[in-house]
Amino acid sequence: MQIDLKGMTARIEGHSNAISTTLRDRLAENGAKIIKEGLPDLLILAAPQLLDISFDWDGLTVMARRDGTAMKTRGSGRIVFLLSACAVLPIRRQPDFSMQMAAMNALMRTLAMSLAPEVAANALGTGVIGTDPAHLQSGDAEMTGHVPVSRAGTVTEACNVALFLCDPENSYLTGQLLSADGGWTAGYGRSF
Amino acid sequence: MRVDLSGKVAVVTGGAGEIGTAICQVLAANGASVVVADVNMEGAETLAAQLPDAMPCKIDISSEGSTRDGVEAVLGRYGQIDILVNNAGVNTQAHRVTLDSFPKAEWDRIVRIDLDGTYLMSKAALEPMVARGAGGRVINIASVVGLAAMRLQSPFAAAKAGIVHLTRAMAIELGHHGILSNAIAPGSIMSEGTRSLFYGKDGLFGSRTEEFMRHIPMGRPGEPNEIAQAVLFLGSPAASYVNGQCLAVDGGWTAGYTI
Repeated sequence: MQIDLKGMTARIEGHSNAISTTLRDRLAENGAKIIKEGLPDLLILAAPQLLDISFDWDGLTVMARRDGTAMKTRGSGRIVFLLSACAVLPIRRQPDFSMQMAAMNALMRTLAMSLAPEVAANALGTGVIGTDPAHLQSGDAEMTGHVPVSRAGTVTEACNVALFLCDPENSYLTGQLLSADGGWTAGYGRSF
Repeated sequence: MRVDLSGKVAVVTGGAGEIGTAICQVLAANGASVVVADVNMEGAETLAAQLPDAMPCKIDISSEGSTRDGVEAVLGRYGQIDILVNNAGVNTQAHRVTLDSFPKAEWDRIVRIDLDGTYLMSKAALEPMVARGAGGRVINIASVVGLAAMRLQSPFAAAKAGIVHLTRAMAIELGHHGILSNAIAPGSIMSEGTRSLFYGKDGLFGSRTEEFMRHIPMGRPGEPNEIAQAVLFLGSPAASYVNGQCLAVDGGWTAGYTI
C-alpha cells in the first residue's frame, strides 16, 4: 500500500522496537520527512510491545498532551499511538502491561475528543507479532493458538495498520484503536 | 491510499446507493473488478457503465433465492469472489417511535433486510469463497447506532449491533480459511440525500444540526468517500492481519462521552 505523505513531517517518540523503527522507514518511503525535534504533522507515540519495566509511561503521556495541544493551536496534526491489543483484552499473566495499555487507549480517546477537529488521534493494537516464536516482537507464544487465522502476524502487517491510521485521505477517523491481531480480540477463537 | 486490487472481484451490495457508489468507485480505481449489486437495477447499470470493469447485478439481500441467483451470475461472469462488501441496509423513516409502539411489520422489514440480509448474502458468497480456498475478505457496514444505541430506531440499533457481533463470529469461524471479516461503523454520513437535512438554504448548519454536531468531535458529518477509504484498506492485501475488528468511522462520536 502507498499513502501520500509528501510535504509532511513525522516524529517518532517513545519505545524503540521493530514496529516503531520499521514504521519510521515506511513513513519515509511514503514521502514523510522524519524529524527528531519540533512539532511534526504526524506524531507517532510508541509504547513498548513487550513488558519493559523501565519504560516512562508518564513521559509518553506528557508528550502526547503537550504536542497534541500545540498541534490544535497550530490548526492541524495527527497522533498515532502504537499499542498492544491487550489495551482492549487484558491478559491475566500481564496485569501491569494490560493496565498501562488500557490507560494509553483511554488517553488516545480523550485526546481525540479534546483535540478535534484540528487533530486526529488513533491507535494501532498489536496481537502476536513476530516470525520466530522464541523471539516475538509483540504478544506471547501462548496467544498464537487462540488466533483465528492460526498464525502470528508480521511486523509489516502491524505497520500497514499504522500506515492506514497515518493516511491523510483517512480523514474522518479519530478515537479508534484498530488491531492487527488476526482476530485474537474478536472472541473465543479456539476450537476444541 | 493506493493499493493493488487487480485481479480481485469485489461484490458491493447496496452498490448504487451513495455510500455504495463511493465504495465501488474507490475499489475500481484501485484495480478491482466491481459487481454493483442492488435492488435498484437502473442505478446499478448507470454506475457500472462508468467503471472500468464492472457488472450490475440485481440482488435483494432479504431473499435467499435472490442472493443465490446473484452470486451465480457473478461467478458466471468473473468465476470468483474475493471481496464481499455487505453495505445494503435500511432504517425507518416513517416510524420514529419508541419500542412500546414500534410496529411489528416495520421491525420485521428492517431486521429482515439489515441482519438477515447480511447473513443470506454472506452465506451465498462464502460458499464458493471457502470452496475455492483462495481466502478473501468480508466487510460489513454496520453503524455507530450498533455500538451506541440511539432513540427511535430500535430495530436498526438491534440489527446493526447484530452485524457487529456477527462479524466477530464470522472472523473466528472463517479466519483459518484465510477469509478475514471486519466491520465498519459509519457515523453520521452526509450524502446528497441527507445534505438538505444538515444544511439550510444559506449553506450553514441549522440550529438543531448545530446542537447535534456538538456531540461529534470533528464537528461535521462524514463523506461517503471517507467510509470508502476504510473499506479500501480492509479489502486490500495490506490488511492481511486485521480480522474481527469493528472500525467506527465517525469523527470521534463514539470515542467517549463528548460533552
